[in-house]
Amino acid sequence: MKKSILIGGKAGQGANLLLHLLAESLVEEGYYVFYSRDYQSLIRGGHNFNQLCFSDSSVSSNESKVDMIVALDETTEKNHSSKLKKEGIILKGKESNMFFAGRIFNILGIEFKFLDKRLKELKSRYNENIIEAKRGFELEAQKIKLSKSRNKGKLYSGSEGITLGAIKSGLDVYYAYPMTPATPVLGELAQRQKEDNILVLELENEIAVANAGCGTAMTGAKTMVGTAGGGFDLMTETLSMIGIAEIPLVFYLAQRPGPGTGVATYSSQGDLNIALYSGHGEFPRVVLAPGDPCEAEEMTNQCFYFSQKYGIPAIVLSDKHLGESYYSIERKPRIAKVKKQHSLKRYNSYEVDSEGSATEDSERVIKNVNKRLDKKEDIFKEAKKFKQYKVYGRKNSNNCVLFWGSTKGAVLDAIGNLDICAIQVLHMDPFPEEIEKLVQKKNLILIESNATGIFGRLVRKKTGIEIKDKNKILRYDGREFFSDELHEEIKRRMK
Amino acid sequence: MKKNISTKTKVTWCPGCWNFQILAGFKNYLEKELKKGARLNDFAMVSGIGCHGKIFDYVNLNGLNTLHGRTLPTCLGLKIGNPNLKVFGFAGDGDTLSEGISHLIHAARYNSDITFLLHNNQVFALTVGQPTSLTEKGFIDKTTPQGVVHNPINPIKLMLSAGAGFVARVYADAKQIEWILRKAQNHKGFKFIEIMQPCIIFHKNENFQRMTYMLQEKGHKSNNLNAAMKKAEEFNYEKPEKETKIPLGIFYQSRSKTLEEKYPALEKFMKSGKSWKDIKR
Repeated sequence: MKKSILIGGKAGQGANLLLHLLAESLVEEGYYVFYSRDYQSLIRGGHNFNQLCFSDSSVSSNESKVDMIVALDETTEKNHSSKLKKEGIILKGKESNMFFAGRIFNILGIEFKFLDKRLKELKSRYNENIIEAKRGFELEAQKIKLSKSRNKGKLYSGSEGITLGAIKSGLDVYYAYPMTPATPVLGELAQRQKEDNILVLELENEIAVANAGCGTAMTGAKTMVGTAGGGFDLMTETLSMIGIAEIPLVFYLAQRPGPGTGVATYSSQGDLNIALYSGHGEFPRVVLAPGDPCEAEEMTNQCFYFSQKYGIPAIVLSDKHLGESYYSIERKPRIAKVKKQHSLKRYNSYEVDSEGSATEDSERVIKNVNKRLDKKEDIFKEAKKFKQYKVYGRKNSNNCVLFWGSTKGAVLDAIGNLDICAIQVLHMDPFPEEIEKLVQKKNLILIESNATGIFGRLVRKKTGIEIKDKNKILRYDGREFFSDELHEEIKRRMK
Repeated sequence: MKKNISTKTKVTWCPGCWNFQILAGFKNYLEKELKKGARLNDFAMVSGIGCHGKIFDYVNLNGLNTLHGRTLPTCLGLKIGNPNLKVFGFAGDGDTLSEGISHLIHAARYNSDITFLLHNNQVFALTVGQPTSLTEKGFIDKTTPQGVVHNPINPIKLMLSAGAGFVARVYADAKQIEWILRKAQNHKGFKFIEIMQPCIIFHKNENFQRMTYMLQEKGHKSNNLNAAMKKAEEFNYEKPEKETKIPLGIFYQSRSKTLEEKYPALEKFMKSGKSWKDIKR
């Protein structure tokens, strides 16, 4: 059993809140739940919608067709009614979001007391909300039959995963300048300042953020900075300096479609190369790409681990789809212990002599460069302690999907019972050497949320194997992959 | 082992450069602090890129010789990392008012307890003499053959408008540097100190020093913002005329809550003498 619900309305009508409390209740009922958010770059009006999928077996993406549409405005019906399945239900009208909450709960057969509990948790407007919800609940007569499920997942987003990963690694200070889709982490961490005894600061721009991050990290504090592609561009001057000064700083880079301002509130995997190669000069770094909230915890944790251990910049690479979608996850993350390994000394953006002062001495320059680049080998070996990649599906199949990051949810739901294996790379740098063997003599299919197959080029660089253009499934309109459509796309390319 | 206050690095400023005076003044100040019981590790320094930046190489303090324009956010980060550090930032006029001007304005606004010294030679010297945003109109170099056409920024006025709580100007003279550092030490918050140090190669101004006078000797009260603004306008950074007077000393001083006092987590560190590094999680 798998059911999909789409809830849309104008920004400010509360579609977001409505879907979130429904998702929470479905998780409590024992279902696997996934939902994504589609919103525009505006504050009031426009058209926003959230789409949710729940099931009695694992689900981590949406499908192209839905079983129910909840239209808080006319645009929702107009834009999305074509997605409604034949026997699907559409709820519409001028009532409030909580009125619809009541109706949906009744349709899905969830007891009213669970909705009441959610409304109590919201605290604000409880008295108004409960009247509306009750009215909707009592008026509703339609039913969707569901089978029972006993999953015990925890509902959280990729942004919450990044946040938890940082907290569990012992984060002390976080700096950021607001930019979608990195901002939810800023908000999450800011909310937790008191309870976790951390400090969160918004500074005047990303350049200040990165440099203040350096100053704080130099004192031995575990420090992270966060931004999206455009802000990261501004930080790359500092990233390069960290490369020479050997300062342990963690970067959270949340991708959205570029270049320029691009499509500001949508998703992309277009910034892999700036994570891997930005910043002038040659220096070691670590770039890790989680595919779900649990991996977001783990990869953020590993970024702290590597940056503290080697005095290097470490980048955790996410995107809007992972950051702002919610997943019900059963697995508990594996968190490595991160020791504070730095204290204030003489750091320099120049090559340094033995006292930490600038030098132009040829021998010393060579010595310094080698010392820094030798870390690459150490990091490469150390990374083997962690799960650098994952293989799903039929491992011996001749067909093989290659993917990374937030496409994970759709890929895993899409491959289902196909005779295919799927390889997810988590460590972009250091790139796991095993991949080279795994991709030999396979019919490789690449899935990415960008226009040119950036990860495919990384695979070619690391393995020498070129993925055929016709085997590249690329989506670059900022939207998510639907697992049913992706299933067909994959099937068409299988041998 | 007692750490030496100086590094072994050979000083490479031009012979006669005013930076020697700034270095001497800073080291004299530090030495007296050490005699009084301070330790070298109590201090941290940050410098930027330009002739001034080399000062980091000559003083054996922890810190960072950072990128061009980024002295102040680095200082801020150090202070937030460990509020018990006595943090000194050094940066040139191009560094501070061209590349890094946004940081300067916000530093005044944040009011973190940092001592900031602006090495003002009114020129990009280490890149061989291009105009900065503090260079006077009409200045000619290879890159500006028609002469500078814009007005220079008045950093004292800028700092007063941005809300800096300690705004001073001194001449690049070891005694004056030491004197102002001692004054600044008693002020909690962001301390902006401009040092007039005409570049002896690319921006000669032998008469500058003779044109200066001490504000406090002329009865200037540093608690009056309007009076400070008027005094700031006396010298507008244009080519000095015979009658030009350059006021030195403390233009304005006003105590308000520092950044470290605004965040309870940081305030706690100031009481305990600890920092994030000591926190076990």
